Amino acid sequence: MNKNKFYWSLQILGWSFYAIINIIVANIVLGNQGTVAIWYFPLITEAVFFLLATHFFRFISKRLKWIYLSIGLLSIRVVLSSIIIGSSIYLLRIGVSFVLDLYGSESLSLANILGNTFPNTLVVFIWSLFYFIFQYFDRYNKSLKHEAELHQMELNNLKSQLNPHFIFNSLNSIRALVDENPIKSKTAITQLSNILRNSLTTDQNKVARFEDEIKIVKDYLSLETIRYEERLQTEVVIHPKSYDYYIPPLMLQTLVENGIKHGISKLKGGGSLSIHTTIDNDQLKIQIRNTGKLTSQNIDGINVRGLGISNTKKRLKLIFNNKAHFRIINETPNTVLTEIILPKV
Amino acid sequence: MKALIIDDERLARKELINLLEEHNSIEIIGEAVNVDEAYDMINRLSPDLLFLDIQMPGKTGFQLLEMLDSTPNVIFTTAYDEYAIKAFDVNALDYLLKPIQPERLADSLGKLSNIEDKKGEPDSLSKLGLQDQVFVKDGDKCWFVSLSNVRLFESDGNYIKVYFDNFKPMIHKSLNALDEKLDHRSFFRASRKHIVNLNWVEGIEPWFNGGLMVKLKGGDKVEVSRRQAAKFKEKMSL
Repeated sequence: MNKNKFYWSLQILGWSFYAIINIIVANIVLGNQGTVAIWYFPLITEAVFFLLATHFFRFISKRLKWIYLSIGLLSIRVVLSSIIIGSSIYLLRIGVSFVLDLYGSESLSLANILGNTFPNTLVVFIWSLFYFIFQYFDRYNKSLKHEAELHQMELNNLKSQLNPHFIFNSLNSIRALVDENPIKSKTAITQLSNILRNSLTTDQNKVARFEDEIKIVKDYLSLETIRYEERLQTEVVIHPKSYDYYIPPLMLQTLVENGIKHGISKLKGGGSLSIHTTIDNDQLKIQIRNTGKLTSQNIDGINVRGLGISNTKKRLKLIFNNKAHFRIINETPNTVLTEIILPKV
Repeated sequence: MKALIIDDERLARKELINLLEEHNSIEIIGEAVNVDEAYDMINRLSPDLLFLDIQMPGKTGFQLLEMLDSTPNVIFTTAYDEYAIKAFDVNALDYLLKPIQPERLADSLGKLSNIEDKKGEPDSLSKLGLQDQVFVKDGDKCWFVSLSNVRLFESDGNYIKVYFDNFKPMIHKSLNALDEKLDHRSFFRASRKHIVNLNWVEGIEPWFNGGLMVKLKGGDKVEVSRRQAAKFKEKMSL
């Protein structure tokens, strides 16, 4: 059932119940006088007033976003509103009684006004209690769900950042390297730690210093060279001014990983990967070239990975608005070029 | 047991060789760096066991198995391929995750020597007999099927339907080529469309035009053409 339907069902059922109870009570109190029937209409009207008044109350409280107030501020508002609504309903009842000629001058005596307004106020107050308690629980549930979704997203993000295939293959190579070249294996362990630490501590919503990012990428390439050996040739040429720039964290690493995973690792003879940066018009241009061929199939593959092309574009737009550019193309039949152009932050 | 190691990374192969040094029952007869190389070596050296990486440049480990007529024992070695491994019936497959734990390797080899003991001596004939297994991949699902469990091969266009248990996946082969490789003591070419496993035959009835209708355990019925009927009777009366 949707929430609006639920609300209206409760409203109609509740106030009908209220009217019925009042009629029964009137029958008990006035039963022997034989004039009960003329009270039915005003009692039903009163219940309708209550329904409309509480609905108006809900409208106002939603408009003014009372649910977000502290308990204290909300309580004051609820009590005051209850009094206002309670007394208004009594005034309306007097009006109706007058029209129906049931009006007695004693209706306006202080005792009568207070005596009738108080129960009305109490009724509205109880109604508000139910209403706001329900709202609070609903909001709490929603925030829990929202939180769970956020955690799931973070987890997926982390998983894709960590790239288990790379980590376990690297560990396996390092294990073999321990006997063959202990010094190199020690370096490799440090490099892998750097990558893991960086993946775990990076805040994706901020930007990182280019220097830190390129360091991680160099570690990454060095580890992949241990795995692929002569099948992977790498070259990194950095324009010295590049170090003044900030880039989205892990972006460079992800693009380099893609170049190796979808390009070089698919080729029996291996290939090469190069990173070149240049400064042009105060903009940082990063070019990654890898052996391989971009096909619609492996573009899809990258997209599915989550941290792929569409994600890269989205992040660039989010951080740099439309001032950053990204493209990935087949530069030659067997070279894929990935290019990012970034403004200075 | 003669083993072949198939992995594109030298260090990964080296690591596995190191681990296998403790196991005297395993004799490493070669290393292959990709599927095509492995395919040649398997046909030349006929290993009893493959240590097979899944992700390799060119073709994957699964593609290698699909190329083979019958597969030796296979232990997959992979760093992280949850999807690929999920494709298998859990019991049908043994795999080791890299970096490989020595105990897990010992377990796998132990299981394997049990299976080998039960199989007994393989036939000296180079034909495919009941002890051989084939790799079958149909869409996302994969099986290693022992030929003793296959009751029927049925040709269907360019494919063959392989009947076993409750499955009948298709393999991309011709029935004539398969017939030439199968051991005819166990498998019989019933007609142009069918090869039956004689061990699964439950009953035989005469059929039209001097043919026969063969009932297999499990309920499948196969018609034996008139041309083959005489041969079939002769075979079954032995």
